[in-house]
Amino acid sequence: MVDALIGMEVHVQLNTNTKLFCRCPTLSGIPNTKTCPTCLGHPGSKPVLNKRAFHYAIKFALALNCSIAQSLVFSRKTYFYPDMSKNYQITQYELPLAVNGKVVLDSGKEIRIKRLHIEEDPAGLVHEEISLVDYNRSGIPLVEVVSEPDISSAEEARDFMKKLMSILNYLDIFDASSGVIKADVNVSVKKNNFERVEIKNVTGFKEIERAIEYEIHRQNNEQVVRETRSWNADLGKTFSLRKKETEEDYGYITEPDIIVRQIPKLVIDKLSQEIPELPAQKAERWVKNFKIDSVDARIIASDPQVASLYEEVAFQCDKILSARWVRRELLRVLNTAGVKLSDTALKAYHLIPLFKLLERKEITDRTGQQLIRELAQSPFDVGLRVKNDGLSAVGDVSEIGKLVDLVLDENVQALQDYRKGEQKAFEFLVGQIMKKAKGRAKPDVVRTLLLEKA
Amino acid sequence: MIQEYIKRVQSGEDCSEVIAKFFDEAKRIENYNYFTVLTPELAKEQALLVSKRIKAGEFLPLAGLPVTIKDCICVKGVETTAGSDILRGYKPLFNASVVQRLINAGAVIVGKTSQDEFGFGGFGINTGVGFSPAKNPLDPSRVCGGSSSGCGGITRKTSLAHVGIGESTGGSIVNPAAFCGVFGLCPTYGRVSRYGLIDYANSLDKIGSLAKDLGDCASVMSVISGFDEMDETTSTCPVPDYGSFLAKGVKGLRVARIKEAFGEGVDEHIKNKVHSVITNLEKQGASIREVSIPVVAEYAVPVYYLIAMSEASTNLAKFCGMRYGQHAPLKGSFDEYFSAVRTRHFGAEAKRRILLGTFARMAGYRDAYYLKALKIRTLIIEEYKKVFCSSDVLVSPTMPVIPPVFEDVKRLTPLQNYMMDILTVGPNLAGLPHLSVPVNKEWVGVMFTADHYKEELLFQAGGGCG
Repeated sequence: MVDALIGMEVHVQLNTNTKLFCRCPTLSGIPNTKTCPTCLGHPGSKPVLNKRAFHYAIKFALALNCSIAQSLVFSRKTYFYPDMSKNYQITQYELPLAVNGKVVLDSGKEIRIKRLHIEEDPAGLVHEEISLVDYNRSGIPLVEVVSEPDISSAEEARDFMKKLMSILNYLDIFDASSGVIKADVNVSVKKNNFERVEIKNVTGFKEIERAIEYEIHRQNNEQVVRETRSWNADLGKTFSLRKKETEEDYGYITEPDIIVRQIPKLVIDKLSQEIPELPAQKAERWVKNFKIDSVDARIIASDPQVASLYEEVAFQCDKILSARWVRRELLRVLNTAGVKLSDTALKAYHLIPLFKLLERKEITDRTGQQLIRELAQSPFDVGLRVKNDGLSAVGDVSEIGKLVDLVLDENVQALQDYRKGEQKAFEFLVGQIMKKAKGRAKPDVVRTLLLEKA
Repeated sequence: MIQEYIKRVQSGEDCSEVIAKFFDEAKRIENYNYFTVLTPELAKEQALLVSKRIKAGEFLPLAGLPVTIKDCICVKGVETTAGSDILRGYKPLFNASVVQRLINAGAVIVGKTSQDEFGFGGFGINTGVGFSPAKNPLDPSRVCGGSSSGCGGITRKTSLAHVGIGESTGGSIVNPAAFCGVFGLCPTYGRVSRYGLIDYANSLDKIGSLAKDLGDCASVMSVISGFDEMDETTSTCPVPDYGSFLAKGVKGLRVARIKEAFGEGVDEHIKNKVHSVITNLEKQGASIREVSIPVVAEYAVPVYYLIAMSEASTNLAKFCGMRYGQHAPLKGSFDEYFSAVRTRHFGAEAKRRILLGTFARMAGYRDAYYLKALKIRTLIIEEYKKVFCSSDVLVSPTMPVIPPVFEDVKRLTPLQNYMMDILTVGPNLAGLPHLSVPVNKEWVGVMFTADHYKEELLFQAGGGCG
């Protein structure tokens, strides 16, 4: 038995051009300018379903291995709140769009998806001296994904979210730069007989992980009651919102203004064909066909841009070397700089000559690393740069021999240490020689000569 | 009747005079309480535009026709309250699709007609706070029926060419049509767009027309029916020229008399009148048979009220003193604020239906009431469908009684009140088109019901009533 049970309800804003039930744009902007009678809940207005949002949700469900319902039925969830234009939310209740899916974590563990449904986002509230409502957000399409409580740690929750995000990126149905991901998280721990606590409305990746970490710690150290809590990101703590005797009663009825649509198999098949090869399948294929490292494969595949860059490069270069360099060097450089591949002008045709040079050992790894760093900043013709700046690897024995002699003369102490059997001293000397060679000396030649001369 | 007038306007006669007369008349009968608002300015503008369009060579099927709109249907820039105090001052930003189609066809909007608050009633007496009930045009001590009460009243009372746009959830078109002695047609659910209709119960609401002449109903129905991209529930089924069915005759028409509609609780006087109409149809060659619809008779009223109130209680949630309509000084919590606004500005029947409707859809009761009602609704539709395999139209009285005097209505319990709908809720629940035909222009109506999207059969049957 695990120590913690965590279930997630993740809300994802879809990147359609218009809202779920009206033609207002899904853009932010001056408050209350992207509105119409429908998303303002004016009397007499009626919702008309945005078919694209519906199709996006089906694709997402298929990518999560869900089974799709035979028909699309919406319900009204009634509760009074100032961010609700109609004081009911159009959502799905008895018959969600999809059920019974799964997400496979890096560890191989499966997190079951209980259901996936479509609903409208409420308006945004701005709390100043008084509270103000911004209806620009009202009616933006959301997909809610509900997991079973199969997650047992904050790390697993992060991996789960990463997997969802990666799939959304591949499907291109979520805009990470402007869209919002929110989650309600259920956490319960063994120590307290798995009494269920719900943390409402945690926004963003990092916060979800932090909130879970905090909550597990809290529940393991104090008395737990069944309740709903909120996450305060500034204080890094959860706070009690309300005690929960029973489930809230939303008095659901079927939404009568939206017709019940059959979801024909033909439509599902067509949408299924539009789904690109997903990260897990991609990684699996690479490991099998390209024989690359499985961790390299998984990490490269998780981002669709990086994956397609890799595929292009690997088509012409050594596949294993390319994978190693993309993951360990390129991604490291991008992460350090805090940018995404799409933020740079880097293309496969910049990397191909570089990897070819590395493959043929015509430049050293050190030079390669340096070139990748520079390429990420602003790309250039790698062949030309190597030629013009004389960056080719030096393998000439007499040339390197001179450098070895010089370094041995300058580092008598290290030489003595080496002779006493200290391997560290040998590595130090190699480093000094490489430094003198500005990273261009071929490491195997350096080592051979040093062994001879030391 | 209106066709003669429309032809004159179409051939160049100025309609402003008739429009002006309409307002004079409306003023004279002000104490009948048929209007929540009159729109002389708007009408003047529209009349001018009609003249211009005709001069420019346009053909307008409703050229210059004065039309009244039930208050629950949005007219851009004109106070629209659905008869409720909570919406006082609300001026919609858009025209209901029906209103837009009427204007496009050359009709002139002359005013909004009074009603039971949000449509919650069958006598026109459940008016919102500060509104007055409409009086029967044939005897002002009696009710007009409802909920399209003002619509029924003005349609009978005016001496001018006119068609009233009404709305029915459980019988609110045929009921006042019968009580006021005019024709009332409620089309198939989905035949006319509800975009711009302030919802009572969205799965039941239908917009239709009331007129002194069946041909007038037909002219207007042909204009307002049809698919609308703003209302998903509208049908793409083609709209026939309804007028062409009026003189078709009833020879061979299969008319089924509903057995349960002539039972206990229906005035003998009314049964006799309706029977004479049936005999007349038979003489003209209609084949008459009797059918029984026991599920409808037994369950339609409770099922109707459960579904209608459940939906209504969610529809009314949006009226909370934010964004539009009545406001109050900002005080206390959000809950305290909206509760205060709703307590003050909703009428008693609206409150009753919110409470009952909310109860019926709450956990623990939802299965027994709301969900069960939905299931029985399906059975009711199936029962009707079976009957229509061997019949073209069903016939029954529209209302079980003649319009009561105000004093008597006040003595009815809510339950007795709801039972008045016994004959009309069936077709409304099933979304079937139905027509009330006045017998001898008196306050007794005979009701025909047809299968979905078979409005033309109603015009055919109605045309045979002479």
